[in-house]
Amino acid sequence: MRILSTLFFISGFAALVYQVVWQRTLFAIYGINIESVTVVVTAFMLGLGLGSLAGGAVSKDPRRPVVLLFAAVEATIGLFGAVSLPLFRGVGQATLTLSPPAVAFVTFLLILAPTMLMGSTLPLLVAHFTRLSKNVGRSVGLLYFINTLGSALASVVSVLVLLPRLGQGHAVHVAALLNLAAAATAFVLHQRQKGATSSLDSGDSSGETPSRTAELAR
Amino acid sequence: MSRRFPLTLAVALMAGFIALSYEILWYRAFSFVSWGRPTVFGLLLGCYLLGVALGSSGSRRFCREDDGDASGQERSLRALAAFVFLSDVAGFLVIPILARLAQYAWFPAFGVVAVSAGLLGAVLPLVAHFGIPADDRAGQRLSYVYLANILGSAAGSFLTGFVLMDVWSTQTISAFLGATGLVMVALLFLASRPSTPRAAVGLGTVVLAGVGAVFASPVLFEHLYERLLYKELYRPEMTLADVVENRHGVIAVNHYQQVYGGGAYDGAFNVSLVDDKNFIERAFAVSAIHPNPKNVLMVGLSSGSWAQVVAHLPGVEHLTVVEINPGYLELIAKHPHVASLLKNPKVDMVIDDGRRWLLRHPERKFDVIVMNTTYHFRAHATNLLSADFMEVARAHLLPGGLHYFNTTSSDDVQRTAATLFPHAMRIVNFMAVSDSPLTFNHARWERTLREMEIDGVPALDLNVPHQRDVLARLLGMGHTIEQHAYDKYGLEGRDDLLARTAGARLVTDDNMLCEWEDLLKFPKGADL
Repeated sequence: MRILSTLFFISGFAALVYQVVWQRTLFAIYGINIESVTVVVTAFMLGLGLGSLAGGAVSKDPRRPVVLLFAAVEATIGLFGAVSLPLFRGVGQATLTLSPPAVAFVTFLLILAPTMLMGSTLPLLVAHFTRLSKNVGRSVGLLYFINTLGSALASVVSVLVLLPRLGQGHAVHVAALLNLAAAATAFVLHQRQKGATSSLDSGDSSGETPSRTAELAR
Repeated sequence: MSRRFPLTLAVALMAGFIALSYEILWYRAFSFVSWGRPTVFGLLLGCYLLGVALGSSGSRRFCREDDGDASGQERSLRALAAFVFLSDVAGFLVIPILARLAQYAWFPAFGVVAVSAGLLGAVLPLVAHFGIPADDRAGQRLSYVYLANILGSAAGSFLTGFVLMDVWSTQTISAFLGATGLVMVALLFLASRPSTPRAAVGLGTVVLAGVGAVFASPVLFEHLYERLLYKELYRPEMTLADVVENRHGVIAVNHYQQVYGGGAYDGAFNVSLVDDKNFIERAFAVSAIHPNPKNVLMVGLSSGSWAQVVAHLPGVEHLTVVEINPGYLELIAKHPHVASLLKNPKVDMVIDDGRRWLLRHPERKFDVIVMNTTYHFRAHATNLLSADFMEVARAHLLPGGLHYFNTTSSDDVQRTAATLFPHAMRIVNFMAVSDSPLTFNHARWERTLREMEIDGVPALDLNVPHQRDVLARLLGMGHTIEQHAYDKYGLEGRDDLLARTAGARLVTDDNMLCEWEDLLKFPKGADL
């Protein structure tokens, strides 16, 4: 749990770096007038919300390997993050002259995939932690705390260190590296759990169902 | 479960709405007090999220395993009601406390944000604990609660940031959010099925808080923008002549006709070279640098003084002004020196982001692009001062075209401009850059100063001795370029400028260099 919590902290840190940098990039393209700001902020939120729904839907089956899914999500966010700025600028230039609703739709599509992935992680891990602790409030409180603490630190570090010293491009690369490192660690964690499950299976011929053994492994 | 879950969703929705609405209001106030320095956004968000994180962590101790029974649910609801009440009161008080602290040191107000956000942050785990059973579907149900919270936040962004801020003042919106929070408290408290005496005490407290807020609000928010603007210089007798609050920001005007956009000095209502409190000669200087500025674009309007001068320059046939905040038009209409600008057939006003407008109109070309840009260290100033933007501007210049803008004395910005363009000249703190040779034409300069009129009033009345002195000083300014010595209030050629700014770096969209100077140095009270 401690390792997974640390990874979720890193995930929250990276997510906020993306948010700060992506917003600035989109504002430079689409403007800092209130209409653009509202579109960008709302698109971020809707992406997170839809991602939460998706994560929740996936999490309800206890047989699903949550840690492996978390690793996959982090890896995908990291890969997207690494190419995000050229992608945003390219799409932004190509769609600049569209009507305001069309621009809003394009903005939403641009950040839909990564924000959905970001939004999916909380319900995934809450499901995992609740199965262990049997206490929703404490699971949500702990995970929300860890993830938000990472984001809080990222807010301050972004404006005091990352952006002033590295600029937008390298700041995003730092975030991408953090995501990929979190993904790799989660993958190793999953493999270890799988190994533990296999040993349990080999030492126990009682024929337990996959869901039961998966639960034991956690 | 069937009754609890809809209540859970409703609370998550409302909590998201209130939290994000307060965040928007707080950002407006913190941005105003700090002149919109980019670090403030990060620090405010950091404190807000730290508070939310600590609140969500602290709330765990209120989540007991035996809360599933009826008395446990009622206990959970009462804890929720208490947190919502405290967060509501704290959230309402953040801006008044910031305004009071501004007279001494406003930085501690970040701590108040963290406390308030902490109380708000406790709500989501508590409500999740109340409404979601600890079974295999916990993750899925949480996703609905989280979605409801996010939808509430999105509604806060839209309704408060987009609609309410256009019709109500900060004080009124704060009161509305406070009242909304109190209604939520009352509903949560009643849902916990309190005994009659408890209900009387609880609801009585809520009503008292509401009545207290109504009466205290005018006092708490009194002289809000005066306090945030003048800070340590504030005295109770100081009042602003005008304050325009809309969804685009806050514009304040003092009794000296100075304009403050988002808390930062943004020029003054003045077109006179004699009573010159805004270095308006820099606007007149366009006619010395460009021989025939027929078609001019101005990005940014503020007091309209610059636009008024440029619209009256010899040869100008058409002036397009792109301004992001329509609030300036309201103010211009009230000031006689510039009011005619709004009816001038040569002038077109466009409400839009300047950079976006240029990107969306590649076909529009100009003889001169003028920008009396805001301070280079304010958030998003890069959007108009980077090498990337200068390329955008260059693409909109006609042959022989001039890009002329305020660098607010940033060496980085001046060097960027002189590096990108083969022809460059500094005029006080402005840069004039072009792909064609630039000269400061003394004859045109003198003719403009002697003959130009604005709304029939001569720029200089040379029958008045003092005004003849002004003419002599301004004519002298045109010759400072020949001295090859740095004169802050004079002119400087490209070679001299590049030699002087050898240590400076190029500003790009990526490095946003000009915004990150003296990261934690915040402005003191506005000069009177």
